[in-house]
Amino acid sequence: MNCIKRILEYIIVFFVIISFNFFIPRLMPGDPFTFLSSDEGSVHSSYTDEQIEKYKAYYGLDKPLWEQYKDYVYNLFRGDLGYSIYYNEAVSSIILKRVIWTIGIVVVSIVLSSLLGIFVGAFSAWHRNSAIDKIIYSIMIVFSEIPSFLIAMLLLFGLAAGKGWFPLSGGITVFGEYKNVFEKIKDIVHHGFLPVLALVLSQTGGYYLLSRNSMITVLSKDYMLTASAKGLDDRRIIFRHGLKNAILPVITRIFMNLGSVFGGAILVENVFSYPGIGRLMREAVMVRDYVLMQGIFLNICILVLTMNFLADIVCRKIDPRVE
Amino acid sequence: MDKSLLRVEHLSVDYKLNNGEVNAVRDVSFSLNRGDSLGIIGESGSGKTSLAMALMGLIKEPGKVRGNIYYENVDINSLSKREIKSIRWNKIALVFQNSLDVLNPLLTIDEQISEVIVKHLNLSKESTSKRVKELLEMVGLSAEIKGYYPHQLSGGMRQRVLIAMALACDPEVLIVDEPTTALDAVYKNEIIKLLSELHKEKKFALLVISHELETIFHLTSKINVMYSGCILEKGITSEVLKNPMHTYTRGLVDSSPTINPYRDLWGIPGESGGSKESGCPFRKRCTQSIEICSTRVPKLEYVSLERQVACHRGGIVTLLEGKNINKIYKNKKTIVKACDDCSIKVRSGEIVALIGESGSGKTTLAGVLSGTILPQEGEVVFEGKLVSGNNFTSRKNGIQIVFQDPFSSINERFSIEEAISEPLRIIKEDSYEEIKIEVKKALEEVQLPNDENFLNRKCYTLSGGQRQRVSIARSLVMKPKLLIADEITSMLDPSTKANIIRLLKGLQNKNGFSMLYITHDLPIARKIADRVYVMHNGKIVEQGIASKIFSDPTDDYTKKLVKEGMSEFN
Repeated sequence: MNCIKRILEYIIVFFVIISFNFFIPRLMPGDPFTFLSSDEGSVHSSYTDEQIEKYKAYYGLDKPLWEQYKDYVYNLFRGDLGYSIYYNEAVSSIILKRVIWTIGIVVVSIVLSSLLGIFVGAFSAWHRNSAIDKIIYSIMIVFSEIPSFLIAMLLLFGLAAGKGWFPLSGGITVFGEYKNVFEKIKDIVHHGFLPVLALVLSQTGGYYLLSRNSMITVLSKDYMLTASAKGLDDRRIIFRHGLKNAILPVITRIFMNLGSVFGGAILVENVFSYPGIGRLMREAVMVRDYVLMQGIFLNICILVLTMNFLADIVCRKIDPRVE
Repeated sequence: MDKSLLRVEHLSVDYKLNNGEVNAVRDVSFSLNRGDSLGIIGESGSGKTSLAMALMGLIKEPGKVRGNIYYENVDINSLSKREIKSIRWNKIALVFQNSLDVLNPLLTIDEQISEVIVKHLNLSKESTSKRVKELLEMVGLSAEIKGYYPHQLSGGMRQRVLIAMALACDPEVLIVDEPTTALDAVYKNEIIKLLSELHKEKKFALLVISHELETIFHLTSKINVMYSGCILEKGITSEVLKNPMHTYTRGLVDSSPTINPYRDLWGIPGESGGSKESGCPFRKRCTQSIEICSTRVPKLEYVSLERQVACHRGGIVTLLEGKNINKIYKNKKTIVKACDDCSIKVRSGEIVALIGESGSGKTTLAGVLSGTILPQEGEVVFEGKLVSGNNFTSRKNGIQIVFQDPFSSINERFSIEEAISEPLRIIKEDSYEEIKIEVKKALEEVQLPNDENFLNRKCYTLSGGQRQRVSIARSLVMKPKLLIADEITSMLDPSTKANIIRLLKGLQNKNGFSMLYITHDLPIARKIADRVYVMHNGKIVEQGIASKIFSDPTDDYTKKLVKEGMSEFN
């Protein structure tokens, strides 16, 4: 019963999302063709009015909105995201090519920032109110309040442009040739380092605060006293008894945060011109490529929904009290 | 050298807080041997759990432990952290107070029990799993619950798991903190039975910490009574609970419905606390505190072979003692022995009922005790001084009597103010204004109006119940230490009677005076008396603790009296 209710909830949420996804791009001023014709700043036009009419008919944009919506939902259920107006390529294949980059930096940064946040948070909680705790706490507060793109720009100016330790843009050396697969990986890591660092720095604070807070609550619980009374090793007390309990809200947070990490990643990608979905989205918005925008939003939404669902399952797995 | 297994010497636990220091445990000493059992009883906040934590070495900053805890003659506080960890649970284990959070919610019962076995006993995987199974079965659980999580257990099952967990390494000392508090009666009895069986079988030293007299009574042979971190009384459990020697212990016993099935419950007035002040911690709630009590902390001293009491007055003092009193009334032909070698004791803060049928000599004995009747033989001592004539009835903090018949004991032509203030006016110690304040206060205490209008009313306008209240007020203005109440309710209707009795008992509980309650009304006596004297034909035929006299009388006359006096309607 409960399960059916949850699935129904997800379906409703999904419909609301695809509807927003359809209408919002179309409510923006302009359309793909006028923008195609005014190449950022220049008023130069490559299409005649007749051509625009023709293209509009071709992409079905001349139909009433309601009709378009119907087609859109129908195609969606066939798994067809349509053709990009700007790239003249299937949206799904464009996204597939780009999304891998974004997922890469997002997953790596989430793993790193959550691990870092959890352990430093637990450490801070264990030594709470000591000097070291206070210092870490203040640093983390500062970082958690700075937006990721700002950190990204500072890193870009400082470490890439200033010191020249890292490449300024891109996800991989263009036309690079590698002796072996390790060389390639090294190059990718080299390119991805700063975007990931920017995301990690902006994310860790949140995880740290949550983990510290949660651990402090857990430390005052009776079962922690039971654990110390049992004469167990400190390591077992902290990790097996403490952290296992303290980590629950952090895990939920990791999955819930996914949306905002994607948001952050989109901005960070643009700072570093990283070839991920974030830059793709900026490009799609610039040219009002409705189909591509829809496809990207939809993918992100599905991803976030899936993650929420996973969070549910994972929590259930860890916490036997959740029915 | 003392060969005790566990020896605690001058143990103190202090917590430093922002607004000063709290002394949770103060100078506690005791020792325990294999097979011994010791109960520590006290109200919530008396420092019992801090004591248990100190024994486990679990007092954390900002707490501070002073004094010594010797386990097999090794001072635990001098050991390194690692050495303490090897004693914890392995040698000294603790059954925690039952709460939902006492077990880790995310780990199975199996893991929580086996982790101590793995840590301390180093058994193989198979032996550990076998041991867990044995332990669970030992405490009466099925081995299947191994895979359960704590939230899937009932309160009683959780308590059993806690016991199994504590016994996992066969500890030498088992500390049990409030084992039965959260359980219903059936579970409670089961847990008590289980613990006492395990104690008999395993012969560990058992330390039970509880505020439940019943639990302590069933599980322990010795008892320490704790208040505000101090031990106030020590002794053999059954003796202490039967005959408490400290006013605090008595208060605890009086608050327990299982020990006092019939008597009305009266808690100890006031709140515990105020540990920072000097002097006896209990003095503010004590019925017999004197000057020294507020300046010096009393030390535990032996008052009998097995009993120690920490009280400057040596425990509950005997306020009034009548020794071998004989009083004979001679008529022309007949000789009536109204009192035949009667001895009676009234201790501070207690209610003694003197029961017997009409004409048994109760009122004469009361007269002798108050000094108004001169006996032929014997003497009456009040606070160490001989009672003669009106030397104690005519002064404050002495003896006062309230008589049976309020119509004749109060001059009905007096105004209420005159009637109540009369004794004060006679002794001439206070000014007119002070007397008036006292009168108003006394009227308030007996729940009568104290406005001018009422003060000026004549006593003949009052009903019987009101007059009896006035005569109680008249006694109260003298601040008596002993109030003799002679059949004060026998002329009143049932409702007024109930009101007066509750009023009197409430005043007694609050002001802490002692009371000799003379009555032929047994159900009333059973409701309020701590001890009972039974009088028959001028002789005291039986005396003892109220609950025993009424449930299990030995004298034939008492048996008859109780049988008839207690016969119920159906």
